[in-house]
Amino acid sequence: MPASATGNRPEELAERLGVGGAAAEGEALLKALREVKNQIIGNKTKKLLYLHLGAVPRIVSVLASVAGGGDAALIVQAAAAIGSFACGVEDGVRAVLDAGAVPHLTRILSHPDEKVVDAGARSLRMIFKSKLTPKYDVLQEKNMKFLLSLLYRENENVTELAASIIAHSCERNEEQKALYDAGILQRLVKLLGGPLNQRDACLESIEAIVRNNSEVAQKFACIDNGKALSSLIELIQDRYPRTRLLACICLITIRHASPCFVQEMQIKTKLIIILIELLEEPGTAGDEAPFALTNLIMDEEELHRQAVSINAVDKLCNFFYKGPIEPRRLQGILLALAELCSKLEKCRSQLLSLQVLNFIVDALKHDCTDVRIAACSCIRNISRSLKNLSAGHLSSETVVVPLVQLLHDESSLVQVAALGAICNVAVNFAPRKSVFIQCGGVSQLVQLSKSMDPTLRLKSVWALRNLMFLADRTDKECVLMDLTISNLASLICDSEHPIQEQALALVSNLVDGCRDPFEHAFAEDNAIINALTRILRGASSPGVCIQGMFLLANIAAGNELHKEVVLNCLLPPQANGDSPLFIIKFLQSKENLLRVASVWCIVNLTYRDSLCSSTRAARLRDAGIISQIKTMVNDPCLDCKLRVRMALEQCMDFENTHHVH
Amino acid sequence: MSLSWIFLGQLDSIETMSTSKKVITREEWERKLKDVKIRKEDMNKLVMNFLVTEGYVEAAEKFRIESGTEPDIDLATITDRMAVKKAVQSGNVKDAIEKVNDLNPMILDTNPQLYFHLQQQRLIELIRIGKVEEALEFAQEELAPRGEENQSFLEELERTVALLAFEDVKNCPYGELLDVSQRLKTASEVNAAILTSQSHEKDPKLPSLLKMLIWAQNQLDDKAAYPRINNLSTAVLEDPAI
Repeated sequence: MPASATGNRPEELAERLGVGGAAAEGEALLKALREVKNQIIGNKTKKLLYLHLGAVPRIVSVLASVAGGGDAALIVQAAAAIGSFACGVEDGVRAVLDAGAVPHLTRILSHPDEKVVDAGARSLRMIFKSKLTPKYDVLQEKNMKFLLSLLYRENENVTELAASIIAHSCERNEEQKALYDAGILQRLVKLLGGPLNQRDACLESIEAIVRNNSEVAQKFACIDNGKALSSLIELIQDRYPRTRLLACICLITIRHASPCFVQEMQIKTKLIIILIELLEEPGTAGDEAPFALTNLIMDEEELHRQAVSINAVDKLCNFFYKGPIEPRRLQGILLALAELCSKLEKCRSQLLSLQVLNFIVDALKHDCTDVRIAACSCIRNISRSLKNLSAGHLSSETVVVPLVQLLHDESSLVQVAALGAICNVAVNFAPRKSVFIQCGGVSQLVQLSKSMDPTLRLKSVWALRNLMFLADRTDKECVLMDLTISNLASLICDSEHPIQEQALALVSNLVDGCRDPFEHAFAEDNAIINALTRILRGASSPGVCIQGMFLLANIAAGNELHKEVVLNCLLPPQANGDSPLFIIKFLQSKENLLRVASVWCIVNLTYRDSLCSSTRAARLRDAGIISQIKTMVNDPCLDCKLRVRMALEQCMDFENTHHVH
Repeated sequence: MSLSWIFLGQLDSIETMSTSKKVITREEWERKLKDVKIRKEDMNKLVMNFLVTEGYVEAAEKFRIESGTEPDIDLATITDRMAVKKAVQSGNVKDAIEKVNDLNPMILDTNPQLYFHLQQQRLIELIRIGKVEEALEFAQEELAPRGEENQSFLEELERTVALLAFEDVKNCPYGELLDVSQRLKTASEVNAAILTSQSHEKDPKLPSLLKMLIWAQNQLDDKAAYPRINNLSTAVLEDPAI
C-alpha cells in the first residue's frame, strides 16, 4: 500500500486485532477488522501475509467473544474476514480450522440480525468448500436435525450452506441413506424450485447423495411419483448454463448408480447434445462440460456412436483452432476425445483427418500435469488404429520425441501415461524403429524397467515388447545390449505376474525371426531358460504359464541341443516323486491355450525327423506324460485335440519301431 | 450492340428482384400491426425490469407508485448496488470495493477477473490525477502479484502501466483506458456480478426484445419489402425501398 496514515501497515493492523492485551477495542477494533478484511478479499498475497502475522487466531478470538451477543457489526466483520481467509488458500483453511472458528460461525447462524446470519453462512460455505475441512458427521442425530433445520430457513444463504455441507459430507452409503431417511433429499428437491443459486447448490447436493448408491438413486426416482426425476430432466434445458450442467451431471450420476433410470436412448442423446452445446459457454460451465460428457459415454460404444453422429469429434476439435485454451478445459477436451477414440476406428480416422494431431502433441509439452496426462491418453487411444499405425502416421519424430521426453517427467503419473501411449505407438510395422531408438527411447525404457514402481516396470517392459515386434536384428541387438540378459532374466522372475508375462512375451519377440533364434535364450549360462524354468515350477498366473510354454515349445522346435535343454526343463533330474511335474499340471489345466502350448511342446520334442526323439519319447512316457496326453484325445478344444493326436501318433511310431521291454 | 445487351441484362435483374419478394404497403402493415394485442401490464413489467436491473432506484420507486407495478426484487437491495456502481463511475474505486465487500464479501473473493479490473481501475485513477509514484507503488504491490497468477491479467497490467510512459496520456496508444467509458465498463461488470450473486438476472429483458426485432426484420428482408424500423429509438416505420 502507498505510504498512508501511521498505523496502517499490516504488522500494526494485525497487532490491533484480538481480545485483551495490546488489542484495540470498540470502534478502533471494528475499523481494524474492516481494514484487514478489505485488504485480503480477492488478494492471495495479503491473505498469506496476514496469516503469517497470526491474524487468524486473533480474529477468531474476537468472534468468540462477541458471538454470544456482542456488537453485530463486529461479528459481521470478524466472520467475513475469517471466511475470506478460507477462500482459495489452503494454509488459510488450515488456520481457520485450527483456530476453532467453525463452532462460533455455526452459533451465529441463529442470530436475530439477518446480516450476521448471512456473514456466518457465507463464511461457513467457504470453509466447507475445501477438501481440508473434515466431513460433517451426518450420522449423528443432532447434526442431521441441525442440517434439516437449516434447510427450512427462509434465508437463501443458509439453505445454500446446508446444501454445501451435505455435498461435502456424504461419501459412504450409510451416510447417503441416513440423509434420505431424515427427509433431507426430499427437502432438497423442493428447494429446486427456489432462486437460481439455491437451485444450483441443491443440484450439487442431490448428486452427492445419490452418487454410487443404487438404493438411494432408486428412492430418488420415486420421490413424488417420479416428479423429482422429471424436474431434473426439465432442468437440463434451463436457460442458465451452470444449471444445465449440474442437472446433466445429476442425471448421469443417477444413471450410473441405477441404470434402469435414464435409459431411453432419447434422453441419453439429449444429454450428449446439451453437453456438447455447453462446450461453447465461457467460464466453468463450459470447462466442466467435456468431463461430464466423458463420464456419460464412458465405455459405452453405443453412446460413442451417438456422439459421433452428432459431430462431437468435429465440435471438440474446433476448439483447437480458436486460440489458446485454458488448462482445465483443454484437459477436458483431450479426455473426451480420448474416450471417443477408445473404441471407434471411425473417431480415430476422423480426428486424424481433421489435422489436430499436432495440437495434441503440443499438449504433451503443456505446463499442467493433468493436460500432459490427458494428451498421452489421447495418443494412446488414437494409436489403437492399426490402419494408421501401419501407415506410420503416429511413429514420426514429431510424435515420438515428445513422448520419449515425458519418460523423464517429474510426475510418475505422466510417465505411466506416456508409457501407455508408447506401448501402442511402438507397435510399428516398419522394419526399422530407428526414430524411437535414436531419440534415446530404449535406454529410458530400460531405465524404467528397473523402477521400484511396479506400474512403471510393467508398462516399460510392455513397451519394449511391442517395440521388438517384427523388429530387425540390429534393433534387437541394440535393445539387448541396453537391457542385458541378466536384467531380462530378473524381469522374468519379477514379483509381479503381469510383468513376468510381458518379459516372456518380450523374449518371444526377441527370438522370433532370428537366424539363430535361441542364442539369447542360452546366453550367459542359460540365464533365461533357468529363469523360465524357475517361474514355471513356481505358482504363477495362467497368462505367464501360457507365454512360458509357448516359448518352450518354440525352443523345442530347434536343434537337438535345444530340445535336450527343454526336456531337462520339463523333467528335472532331481525330481522327487512328491510334487507333480508342472507340465502335467498344465496339461490338466482349464485354460485351453495352456494345454495347447504344453502339447505343442511335446509334439516338438518328439518330432519324427529328429535323432533322439525316441529317447525323449521314452523319457516322457516314463514320467507319465504320455499317459496324461492319452486322456486328452477328446479334449473339447479342437486345436488341442489335433495336437494331442499329432503327439500320440509320433509316440506310437516310436513304440512300434522300438520294442523295448 | 453490347450496350443494349447490358441494358437488357439490368432490366432482367430488376424484374427478378421485384417478383421474388413480396411487397407490403404501409397501410397493409399498419393494419396488421393493429391486430396484434400487447398487454399494458407486460410493458410495465418490462420497464420496471429495466429500471431495476440498471439500478435506477428512484425512478423504479416512482414508477411503482405511479403504475402500480411491483418490482421483482426488493428495491432496498438496489440501493446498495447503485451506491457501488456510482462510486465506480465517479472514480472512487476503493470506496466501491469496500461497499461490495460489505454487501457480499464472496463476490470479489470468487471473481478474480472482476477484482483485477477494479484494482486496475484504481491504478488508472491514480495515473489520471498524475500521482506517478503512488501509481507505480500500487501497481507493484497490488497488481503485479495478480499478474503473476494469471497471464491475461499480466498483459492488461502491462498496457495500463504503459500509460505512465507517455507525456500526453490522453492521446497515447492505450489512452482509451482513461476514458470515462472504461469506468462505465468496470461499473457494469460490478453491477452484473452483484446481480448474479443475488440470483438475479444480470441483463434486462428489453435489449433481448430489441435484438429479436432486428433479427426478425433481417430474416424478413430476404422475403419481403415492408415498412421497417431502422431507428430503434424513434421506432418510426420507414417505407420500403421500392
